[in-house]
Amino acid sequence: MAGKKLKALHYLNQFFGQVGGEAKADVGFMVKEGPVGPGLELQNELGARAQVVATVICGDNYFAKIPEEAAKEGLGLIEPYQPNLFFAGPAFEAGRYGVSCGAICKAVGQKLGIPVITGMSQENPGVEMYRKDAFICKTGVSARDMRNSLQKMTKLAFRLVSGEKNMDLVLRENLPKPDDFSYFPRLILRNEYTEQTAAQRSVTKLLAKIRGEPFESEVVLPTPESVELPPPLKDPSKCEIALVSDGGLVPKGNPDGLSGRGNLRWTTYEIDDFLPEDFRSSDYEIAHTGYFPDEVLGNPSRLVPVDVVRDLVKQGEIGKLHPTFFCTSGNATVTRRCAEMGDEIGAELKRRKIHAVIFTST
Amino acid sequence: MRLEIESIDIRDIRMGPKTYTEDRGLHINPKELEELLLKDGRIKSVDIDVVCPGDRVRIVNLLDVVQPRCKIDQFEADFPGFVGRLRIAGSGRTRSLRGVAVLVSNPCTKRKYSALVDMCGLGAELSKYGKMRNISIAPYIADGTEERDFEDAVKIAGLKTAVYLALAAEGISPDEVEVYDLDMPNLERHSSLPRIAYYYQMYSPQHDHHGIPDPCFYGTHVRDLMPTIIHPNEVLDGGVVGHHTIRSLDTYTIQNHAVIKELYRRHGEDLIFAGVVFGVANIDPIIRKRKALMAANLIKNVLGADGVIITKIHGGMPHVDVALVGEECEKLGVKTALYTQPLISVGTLTDTLLFNNEALDLVITVGATLERVKLPLEADRILGGTAKTKVFLADPVDQYAGDPMIDMEQMLIAGVHDHLGGAHIIVREY
Repeated sequence: MAGKKLKALHYLNQFFGQVGGEAKADVGFMVKEGPVGPGLELQNELGARAQVVATVICGDNYFAKIPEEAAKEGLGLIEPYQPNLFFAGPAFEAGRYGVSCGAICKAVGQKLGIPVITGMSQENPGVEMYRKDAFICKTGVSARDMRNSLQKMTKLAFRLVSGEKNMDLVLRENLPKPDDFSYFPRLILRNEYTEQTAAQRSVTKLLAKIRGEPFESEVVLPTPESVELPPPLKDPSKCEIALVSDGGLVPKGNPDGLSGRGNLRWTTYEIDDFLPEDFRSSDYEIAHTGYFPDEVLGNPSRLVPVDVVRDLVKQGEIGKLHPTFFCTSGNATVTRRCAEMGDEIGAELKRRKIHAVIFTST
Repeated sequence: MRLEIESIDIRDIRMGPKTYTEDRGLHINPKELEELLLKDGRIKSVDIDVVCPGDRVRIVNLLDVVQPRCKIDQFEADFPGFVGRLRIAGSGRTRSLRGVAVLVSNPCTKRKYSALVDMCGLGAELSKYGKMRNISIAPYIADGTEERDFEDAVKIAGLKTAVYLALAAEGISPDEVEVYDLDMPNLERHSSLPRIAYYYQMYSPQHDHHGIPDPCFYGTHVRDLMPTIIHPNEVLDGGVVGHHTIRSLDTYTIQNHAVIKELYRRHGEDLIFAGVVFGVANIDPIIRKRKALMAANLIKNVLGADGVIITKIHGGMPHVDVALVGEECEKLGVKTALYTQPLISVGTLTDTLLFNNEALDLVITVGATLERVKLPLEADRILGGTAKTKVFLADPVDQYAGDPMIDMEQMLIAGVHDHLGGAHIIVREY
């Protein structure tokens, strides 16, 4: 990298961009050539290897009103410069500024594929919103930490453009270690080589636990979440019931491309077509590798109990079977995405005014 | 129970007219080995090959990997119930060959997925077997043999080959002798050291092919087994073998069981190895609860453990199952270290837990076994199948063993991960 100087662009809010304080928070986008305010310090840290060619500035309110729209507008100003590096902030604890920095980093990173680096304190809402889209360095809560934060951001930026592989990773990607470079992990899990085997680590840690000494779990426990039970149906004979399953029952050929493992999608099939009374086993396949599927393929009602529900409807026990079956494959899927899919399916069921759901799993 | 494992380091391996070992070089007469394996009427023919690091070879349809081992001081005692006569494994002297493995393929498999090993390139670098000199065997099914029955035959052929190779090193002085001597009835009862037990979840019925469980314990399956106390030497010495699918677990890994070896290594130093309880994952909640209670009771009130290491096998359902065993142990005051394998590569590590109990506060990550990796290889030879052999991917795409680049879940590359804690791998948030 000795030859060509890297082109860096810097994003600041109206305050750090020296436009004005809260009174100027509604101001729209503007571009100033070269570094501005903290950008001078950033330029200092970058030294001769990179040049802050321009600074994009926008008011906190203007940006935070519709962050995605604003980010798009900002991207339009940034793209013509064809930068190699993009910095935003740091925003410290400032919420609107953090969201702006995160959103513009996301837009730039996705469109230009260059390293995008910002800085925030742990409590900034921008961290949770954008940690997977940007490298967010850990900063203090206020501008007193400016220099230290910019040093972290610069160090990380140079590491990213170096293309250096992380040889501790089984996949050897160019992913710097979050602890070494003081950034918030980006919701990626990776296998890393260690000196000690899992067997060695587990015995050492267990002995510490028994002795009452500090020990470090390799996974942090979840915070308990309680789900309130809904009230029972007053009169099922007047209710419409929908069938939902995560068993991966799909038409032969898997037209919606559900994955057998780590699936991230859900889909719907109309029951009259998909699960007729005279079904043929050969019309189905199972997009789910977590169980041996012979039983379900032999009779899909073993997974999706249409037969029983049809009978109950005939007998007047249940008002109506909802004509659409909601289908996904739940096998080694990240719980975050499971919760999202649950929300999405739940919202759709609510929109359709379904009274109850029979959810079958494997 | 005292077991001595005498290890011989093998530095070269080649085919020849006679089977013997000289100067740490293993010579194999493939005709003789073939005759031995064809005594099983379920096998019509068998391919036998030698593969070495750097060879542009991919071995597919792997059903098992086995370390060459044989009993030195006992007759017909190898892999009891599978190869040798029924007896309890784990005592006496065993010869073990290091730096060499038997790669056992089933080219006739109808399973959705099976593992592979590359001898060259990234795949070889990732796998412990990719760095060894190996014998590949690939038996073909005899007419009229049933699919599941043939799988058993392939498994046994692999074990027989392992014994055959180890026998060939007779008379060679060992490079190392390890002694595994745990006198369970007279264990140091008055030691002040903490007593650590091991809970070995060794099977889950969820993947039973055609609903039939794989035999893996003294020649039989364990699907309905109640929690049972076994001597750790039984595991190390051939009483337990791998399943018919490699999911980061095979016979070689069990023969070198990392948790058992680590507990042995530290026995008398900073802990007392209190013994092993063997368990099976369950789908049914009542059976699961019953077995978890029984396992915890054995660990606390029979083995008298202060702490327990709990390992699991592949899958989400076994994950829930070990957590329940852990909860019951903690209720009885036995401290736990619980192994998990994050099955995903997005989110936080916390997102990967399938339990929520604050008592289970020590979780060990053995590896994200489903992490994807792309393996480039222009193979000269494909063993155990052909260039057209389908290589499994959970996504709806087709790829084949002869493709210049394949996308793999790491658990299907034999010798990368180890559910029994032997890999130098941890999962981290990035």
